[in-house]
Amino acid sequence: MTSALHAFPHALPRALGRVLPPRAALALVLAGSAASVASTFLPWTWTAKFPGDLTVAGYPGGNQVITLTLGLVTLVFGAAACGVRPLARLVPRGSAQALRGLAFAQAASTWYVLAAIAVELGGLANWVAGSWVAAVATLLPLAGALALPDDRREAPPGGGLPRPAEIAILFVLMLGAMLVVDWGLATEHTQQFVGYVLALGFAAWGVNRSGLLEEISGVSARNRVATSLAALVAAVAFAFVQDGDAYLSLAANILIFGAVALGLNIVVGLSGLLDLGYVAFLGVGAYVAALVSGSVFSRYAGTPLPFWAAVLIGIAVAVLAGVLIGAPTLRVRGDYLAIVTLGFGEIFRILVNNLDGTSGPRVTNGPNGVPGVPDLSLFGYDFGETHQVLGFTLGRFANYYLLLVGVIAVVVFVFSRVNDSRIGRAWVAIREDETAAAAMGVNGFRLKLLAFALGAALAGLAGTVQAHVTTTVTPDQYQFLATAPPNSAFLLAAVVLGGMGTISGPLLGGALLYVIPEKFEFFDDKQLLLFGLTLILMMRLRPEGLVPNRRRRLEFHEEEIAEAEGHDVATRTAPAGVKA
Amino acid sequence: MRKHPSRKAPASRLGASLLAGGLALALPLALAGCGSRGEEGGSGDATTLKIGFDAPLTGPLSAVGLGMRHSAEQAVKDANAKKIVPGVTFELVSKDDQGTPSIGQQNAGAFVADKDLVGVVGAYNSSVSQSMQPTLAAANILQVSGANTNPTLTRGPKDEEAPARQYKTYFRTVTTDANEAPELSKYLVEKLKVKEVATVNDGKVYGQGVVTKFAAAFTKAGGKVVVKQQIGEKDTDFSAVVSNIKNSGAKAVVYGGEYPQAGPLSKQLKAAGAKIPLLGCDAVYDEQFIKLAGAAAEGDVTTTAAKPIGDTPAQQQFIAAYKAAGHAEPYGIFGPYTYDATMTIINSVKATADGNGGTVPDAKELRAKVTEAAQKLTFEGLTGTIAFDEFGDNKNHSVTLNIVKDGEWTVM
Amino acid sequence: MSLSELMQLMTGGVVLGAMYGLIAVGYTMVYGIVQLINFAHGEIFMLGGFGALFMYAWIPPLQDMSLWLALPIMLAGGVAVSVAAAVAAERFAYRPLRNAPRLAPLITAIGLAIVLQQLVFLYWPLRSDGQTSIGAKQPQVFPQLPGDAITIGSVTLQWADLLTLALALTAMLALAYFVRRTRTGRAMQATAQDPDTAGLMGIDTNRIIVVAFAIGGALAAVAGLAHGLRYGQLTFEMGFIAGLKAFTAAVLGGIGNVYGAMLGGIVLGVVESLAAGGLGYIDAVQQFGGGAWKDVWAFVILILVLLVRPQGLLGERTGDRA
Repeated sequence: MTSALHAFPHALPRALGRVLPPRAALALVLAGSAASVASTFLPWTWTAKFPGDLTVAGYPGGNQVITLTLGLVTLVFGAAACGVRPLARLVPRGSAQALRGLAFAQAASTWYVLAAIAVELGGLANWVAGSWVAAVATLLPLAGALALPDDRREAPPGGGLPRPAEIAILFVLMLGAMLVVDWGLATEHTQQFVGYVLALGFAAWGVNRSGLLEEISGVSARNRVATSLAALVAAVAFAFVQDGDAYLSLAANILIFGAVALGLNIVVGLSGLLDLGYVAFLGVGAYVAALVSGSVFSRYAGTPLPFWAAVLIGIAVAVLAGVLIGAPTLRVRGDYLAIVTLGFGEIFRILVNNLDGTSGPRVTNGPNGVPGVPDLSLFGYDFGETHQVLGFTLGRFANYYLLLVGVIAVVVFVFSRVNDSRIGRAWVAIREDETAAAAMGVNGFRLKLLAFALGAALAGLAGTVQAHVTTTVTPDQYQFLATAPPNSAFLLAAVVLGGMGTISGPLLGGALLYVIPEKFEFFDDKQLLLFGLTLILMMRLRPEGLVPNRRRRLEFHEEEIAEAEGHDVATRTAPAGVKA
Repeated sequence: MRKHPSRKAPASRLGASLLAGGLALALPLALAGCGSRGEEGGSGDATTLKIGFDAPLTGPLSAVGLGMRHSAEQAVKDANAKKIVPGVTFELVSKDDQGTPSIGQQNAGAFVADKDLVGVVGAYNSSVSQSMQPTLAAANILQVSGANTNPTLTRGPKDEEAPARQYKTYFRTVTTDANEAPELSKYLVEKLKVKEVATVNDGKVYGQGVVTKFAAAFTKAGGKVVVKQQIGEKDTDFSAVVSNIKNSGAKAVVYGGEYPQAGPLSKQLKAAGAKIPLLGCDAVYDEQFIKLAGAAAEGDVTTTAAKPIGDTPAQQQFIAAYKAAGHAEPYGIFGPYTYDATMTIINSVKATADGNGGTVPDAKELRAKVTEAAQKLTFEGLTGTIAFDEFGDNKNHSVTLNIVKDGEWTVM
Repeated sequence: MSLSELMQLMTGGVVLGAMYGLIAVGYTMVYGIVQLINFAHGEIFMLGGFGALFMYAWIPPLQDMSLWLALPIMLAGGVAVSVAAAVAAERFAYRPLRNAPRLAPLITAIGLAIVLQQLVFLYWPLRSDGQTSIGAKQPQVFPQLPGDAITIGSVTLQWADLLTLALALTAMLALAYFVRRTRTGRAMQATAQDPDTAGLMGIDTNRIIVVAFAIGGALAAVAGLAHGLRYGQLTFEMGFIAGLKAFTAAVLGGIGNVYGAMLGGIVLGVVESLAAGGLGYIDAVQQFGGGAWKDVWAFVILILVLLVRPQGLLGERTGDRA
């Protein structure tokens, strides 16, 4: 079966290659792309009923913007394939793959929207001349790109650009990426978002195969400080390009979730401890902050503490909870931890629900929670107010978003420093083989407890901000599984789907868990079912996550990679039940 | 085709992929980013105003949430057909909060950003409304809930001793726990002459509210709560609780919570030999309660905030229209209240238009004016006359007692 | 608290614990052999209950005869559904991951639990009165055994309680016979001891693992039926909390030991019952008594046992195994 699967994608290109000589194929790609660019200036349907209004001549809109962009990008890469000097850097490992990916992206996203027009409006009659032009035009580059001979080669050594130029490129790219994300977030219709995802997916695949991403990660690896700075600038700039607060509240929630997921990544990704009740630490931080915030619903409303004190207490209580749970269970090996943390997560919810003065001592206001948490005010800057900064309007959520960018920066800093330290390596050693690590003098228990406490601290920190953003803290927000994030299962999924042990993985995973339900309304009540299926399939097909850590990738695909490299690993596979 | 492992540092593959995409889209954004298009479509004089709707539409609470949405849709449909506000077409924008406060807050943010939106119907959970209130209030958007029963939403943390309005934009058509539970006490003391009861609640906002308000009224009337128990919200085994109650000599059980647990509790209570009635509020009043409790349900009592609908022509019309639409979910307890909540917004817009020479004021002042209009509003709704007191609560809070007789709910 | 109430609470706890124990056996057997926390086992229990209900709703004659007579058919239906689901899970979800790092099967198990729960929630086809339905979004009514409660001494017991105890006892005896006396049972012990050597001795370890999953599924189905009969309703989420409790019971009793699972279940059930009904009478801890706190106490007991006796009540010290 595998051979058939692998053979099929080659049959069609080979046949096309026989008909079209390389030069003609390339010409077809260029001409087709130009034609699809042109088609976006024509109307694609007759009625404005189709989302995005594709009836305007001379002014691309909605999904047409995607096709237009892809057409232009394909032209640039086509020029690179033609050998235009400075552009050759775009395709260090050969241009054919990039062109194929881009051509696929063009055809897929355009045909998707054309099909949607026909289906939703009822028949091909709803296509107008422009639709036909677009339909044909986007197929041409695909045929051309498939007919191109494979020109894969080893990438030439990177570098060569002066440092300032590299840094400038990084900044431009980060800001560009931010704008792309922003465009995707701001899509108003499912059709636009699907087209966007198709386009981005295929284009990224092709560009990656041509080695451009590798080239860029090379550049960013040489300029790590600049990369972080550029990412920070892009994240801050995001708040300024928004028109209104609608997506900033989403973004703020994603950042809270991302910070907690990164904390969990220390526990799960770095030290390999499975924590199934992690959302409780977020809850601890949130409850502490809400109780001392001066909310009139809090028992301690009379003694509001400044925010820095709330943060410190929140972190301290979270760490305490982490140690209390960790100390008895981390001595016992392995899976007990999973069940104890799961129990702890449930207990936390029950506890804050019961400490209301009737079912238990009066602390947390029970199921009513603590609503009415006041807005933060730091250094005279009231987060609840709208501010004018540099001519831009920053609303309430923009303020919190910017604060959370700072929090994430702290979390990322802590995560990466720890990861690169002796402690980080010791964690990995424990994760891989605790007995061997102990033999090398690593104190497993203390290090595991440290991982647990550090993870709890980061989640507690995020919680203290969450209380102010959401303004209400209730027990039912902190469950093992719910249909919406944050909950423990989703946190774990963000880490696992995104990529264990990486920084960008959990952030990407978290963003997807928020954005996908927001954009695909037709998932409706099937969200959780699809979520469960995704977990199962990911473990089968790509257990290392979307953004794999190299070490993890090797761990999961040891056999395949070794096979590809010509080693024999059959003798190394462990028998069932031994791998502990 | 095997991929060779990348030999570069894995530093930031995500970053890199985003970067590439960024480059790809930046150019046309620059091209197309100026000006918006195609907004002028549609005829000039008809204004479309949007009404936001927020409830849990997925997950375990979805049946209730969808029933509420269908009812709100019905209200919008009726308003448009009857041209309640001439020249204005209403449109319902529905959002799913999944019963989660942070999602509700995001939805509120999206509602605020929608320039044509005048009001919001929802939410179902009191905790979700708590997180929506500040965002909506800051933008002066009228919020009317047909399901929130927690008194603190309108009257603040000291709802009994020192009530204080929380947000001037928040109203509700449904009555609060504070009004219903005392009726149970009255029934026990005056009709059944019972002085000892046990209370059980499910540890949720609603359930605790019922029990607290009941106990206050009951002790005032000279009764005594002999057992106070709380169960977990997903529990099914009540044997320990039941044995407590049986041994305490309580003559009745007041349950604060919903029917999925009230049914089994009633059944286990009577099976253990404690033949005493179980009393609850709105959320226990359901066909399913009788099915779950079986014969044990006989003699159990609930309050409902209004008479079961079906008496007035308007109610019959609503029921017929709802049936005709063929919805899978029943309108339930909160459907009619949600209908009235939606009508509150529509009638507030009408009042605003009437005070403005028959036309809707422009977007800048519309929201604030509609909220002001709601405070002064009086109109005939599905569940009775709708008008609001100084806290935003419905002035009309008639309470009905229902008893299970021959396996059916009957009004007492 | 009177002695009679104490007895009542203890009895209630034992019956509840027997149900936990039946589910816990599945956890402990699978864990003993492949060291996998089959997180989806709680859902297998839920499916067992729904399978029994399906037979009842699907075959109208069952609804007319005495429920006692319908029970065997309902039980067969429940067992069939549970065993099929458990074996399919092993074959298609867990087996391909047997050599993967241990996080992979655990996360698969969590995913599987969610999928099974959601499938019932969204697509359960039949209401208990035989009407078609789309999904089990509301609690499903389960038929009830006829007859009044019986009183032994001062303790009141329902017929469903007695049936639960009888089923649990029978199941444990059968299991003991199977593990000790039959060839497959002994092969199972050998595989749990040392899978490699067992394999070298000609034992088909794959088959043994399937058998472990199947037995666990069958016992969970028995518990599912008992749950339906005792509480009169099934919900799509009932597997989660029951699974959590049962796993706690398995750890409490000593994971890998089937008798320990039952003992752990009963200890847990009694602790819960006393916490919910008994602590309220003791002034010092009165605030922490009652139904709201019983799960907290169950968890505290687990932590205490792990501290004092990490291998569980009946477990052996296993070094690197767990």
